[in-house]
Amino acid sequence: MLQDKIKAALAPLNLEKVADGDYAKTGYHLEVAAQPEQMPQVAQTLLDTGCFLESLTAVDLGESFTMVYHFANFFELCRTVVHAALPKPKGMPSISKVYPGANWYEREVFDMFGIHFFGHPDLRRILLPDTVDYHPLLKSFAGDPWK
Amino acid sequence: MEMITRGIEEKTYTLNLGPQHPSTHGVLRVLLEMDGEFITKADPDIGYGHRAHEHMAENRNYHQFLPNLGRLDYLHALAYNHGYCMAVEKLIGVAPPERAEFIRVITNELNRIASHLLWFGAYLLDLGAFTPFLYCFDDRENILDLLERVTGSRLTYCYYRFGGVPLDIDDDFIAGARAFVKRLRSRWSDYDNLVTKNVIFIHRTKDVGVVTKDQCLQYGLTGPMLRGSGIPYDIRKVEPYSAYPLFDFEIPVGQNGDIFDRYMVRLAEMEQSLRIIEQALDKLPNGPIMAEKVPKRVKPAEGEVYQAVEAARGEFGCYIVSQGDIKPYRIKLRVPCFANLSVFPELAVDTLVADLVAILGSIDLVIPEIDR
Amino acid sequence: MELLVHYLGSEVARMIVGLIGVIALVSVNALFLIWMERKVAAHMQLRPGPMEVGPHGAIQTVADALKLMGKELITPDEVDKPIFWLAPIVIFLPVLLSFLVIPFSETWIIKDMNVGLVLILSFSTLAVLAILMAGWSSNNKYAVFGAIRSVAQNVAYEIPLLITVMSIILMVGSFKLTDIVAAQSKYWYVLLQPLAFILYIICATAETNRAPFDLPEAESELVAGFHTEYTGMRFALFFLAEYTNMFIVSAIATVLFLGGWHGPFLPGVIWFLLKVYAVIFLLMWFRWTFPRVRFDQLITFAWKILIPLSFVNLLLTALALKLR
Repeated sequence: MLQDKIKAALAPLNLEKVADGDYAKTGYHLEVAAQPEQMPQVAQTLLDTGCFLESLTAVDLGESFTMVYHFANFFELCRTVVHAALPKPKGMPSISKVYPGANWYEREVFDMFGIHFFGHPDLRRILLPDTVDYHPLLKSFAGDPWK
Repeated sequence: MEMITRGIEEKTYTLNLGPQHPSTHGVLRVLLEMDGEFITKADPDIGYGHRAHEHMAENRNYHQFLPNLGRLDYLHALAYNHGYCMAVEKLIGVAPPERAEFIRVITNELNRIASHLLWFGAYLLDLGAFTPFLYCFDDRENILDLLERVTGSRLTYCYYRFGGVPLDIDDDFIAGARAFVKRLRSRWSDYDNLVTKNVIFIHRTKDVGVVTKDQCLQYGLTGPMLRGSGIPYDIRKVEPYSAYPLFDFEIPVGQNGDIFDRYMVRLAEMEQSLRIIEQALDKLPNGPIMAEKVPKRVKPAEGEVYQAVEAARGEFGCYIVSQGDIKPYRIKLRVPCFANLSVFPELAVDTLVADLVAILGSIDLVIPEIDR
Repeated sequence: MELLVHYLGSEVARMIVGLIGVIALVSVNALFLIWMERKVAAHMQLRPGPMEVGPHGAIQTVADALKLMGKELITPDEVDKPIFWLAPIVIFLPVLLSFLVIPFSETWIIKDMNVGLVLILSFSTLAVLAILMAGWSSNNKYAVFGAIRSVAQNVAYEIPLLITVMSIILMVGSFKLTDIVAAQSKYWYVLLQPLAFILYIICATAETNRAPFDLPEAESELVAGFHTEYTGMRFALFFLAEYTNMFIVSAIATVLFLGGWHGPFLPGVIWFLLKVYAVIFLLMWFRWTFPRVRFDQLITFAWKILIPLSFVNLLLTALALKLR
């Protein structure tokens, strides 16, 4: 079972939480919580088990961010979500060396939230123009950028 | 194609496949560094159509966000509607009745065929064949008429609601759908003769724009880009939802991952969609079209959900974080073209401009969904 | 007419009358061909085409021409002005002059030169120069692209064209167009040289930059190729030159392969025009059926397939003539 394989592969990394998810309610088979520094290793482990990166995003919780990574597999259904709590001023290590597809997702998170990714080859804005100085999806962003 | 050897001193120049261009299917700018007619570097510049959908989601309640979904990928809007409705239904614990599921599947598959037909016509227009475009649009008009009867719109649908569908399909719709299935089936031989067996078309698409299985894994490609390379991943089969487990259909798969395989996959998918529609029409149950206890104000409990559906371009994922409020706390729209376009810089290296346009078209892009 | 002949001599009078006739023919031909193209395209695409202006859209082209004449002649700042201005003229004049030697019937020919065919083939090569002038002077990368592609394409397809034509000349023994037509009084050459006919049609499509060989003006890739920066009447001249060129190559096809003005009952001119427009219809049919060939495939096709085939055809013709 892919779920058990992934759990076994993640075991040596000593992550905060590796638990079965409630698929009917959340759509996850596996819920993982990790420290930001551990993300590249987690990504490498999941790539080695044959999972692809479905989505990479962030949620602004006011005092900190939660980085959310979704992984799935082409051959056997097993959706893994990895949450990483990121305190506000810190940056996140990039996983684009492991998953080249993460390059654009991380650029989008930087564009929308201002989170810096260490080790990213080309961290610049992707959706908004380069000259803009705000990050629109932050909860503290309010009001008219044209002012 | 043989590689023409270039001089040792490679002086490159920059060409802008500008935001206004007949072949970029939307407002996409690709910065090309070129050495003669060969491309050394391609950098897509997106964001010209950014309308802040995810921000809008945080300022509207769940019902008010429904029309936004149709504006993402307007060619297969019903799949996006479907994904969002299922995600919210999971959050609030409501299940649509059987007839509603069947109606959702039928309209969804009709929309998928319309999307693929448009891709077919537009792609051949890129390659320089002007006529198939009109044949496809002729067929597509039938679908648009059918869907207009029941949804009220021709393109950016907002048809599904939480718990079911608001309007039922009538006998005219069913008869029209059956007639359409018959009509489109008779057209496959026309398309085969005009396009698939055309020597020029085959030379332009075979062994061009090859996507390897490794690239699929590293970039998270989904949809016909992935299935053209030989991986049979289709969410309707791997992670079945709605009424799809009740129907018998196949997942067409290519072998080499070139443009021709992606083209054949999309053509075969249209035939499979016709099969699904036929079976759904045959087995259509009677009953209510809306679940019984759907709250008027959707206020889900705290939690998050990720719902994936198979759209014409790949996997659409809707990630909703709720903190118990009437407005979502965060919605992330995982769109297939974003990942599919991110592999393009790798595919474009060492190709000719004509091939570039062919590859770009074969990814089947809808820029508004990338820009959101 | 007698006055003209008296004062200028019959040669010059004939040329003046002929040139006036040619200019009239070119204009009417262009009007008719553009309408025909739109109707053929439309019917192949399951739609009716222009229907509003005149019966079945017959005077649509006149309306379009009037519109084009009224448009502003925009000259972008950075263009090379003399060349930019000359290019449309250089593309149009040789085509006009090629009409001098085309035999519309036994007597309807302006000047029956004994190197008539060579004249036409050499003038058609001048079009390449005009395209290069247009593309280069536009100071626009897309236009230069179109011009470069066009030069490579035209040069590549000239060669099998000339060799194919040579195999017909071998059979006739003269470059005079009236001789070539006269030699087909029993059998049209398309029956004796089917391969040459096919090769000629392919090369003619490439020489006139028509689809599937229309890379120099590939809309979906280069916006409009070498004539991107041309507006108004200048653009109209390019357009006019393309359709007139189509007429010329179809006229040559008719003369070389389809027996010129030979035919029962109807006068020679009518047969000639019918055959020319049949070949033009064939060229139009190609455009609306096939997708575009990629550039390197285009050049490979010319150098590696058409040239050997045309040589084979030439050798076979020579062999057959020797053995006869």
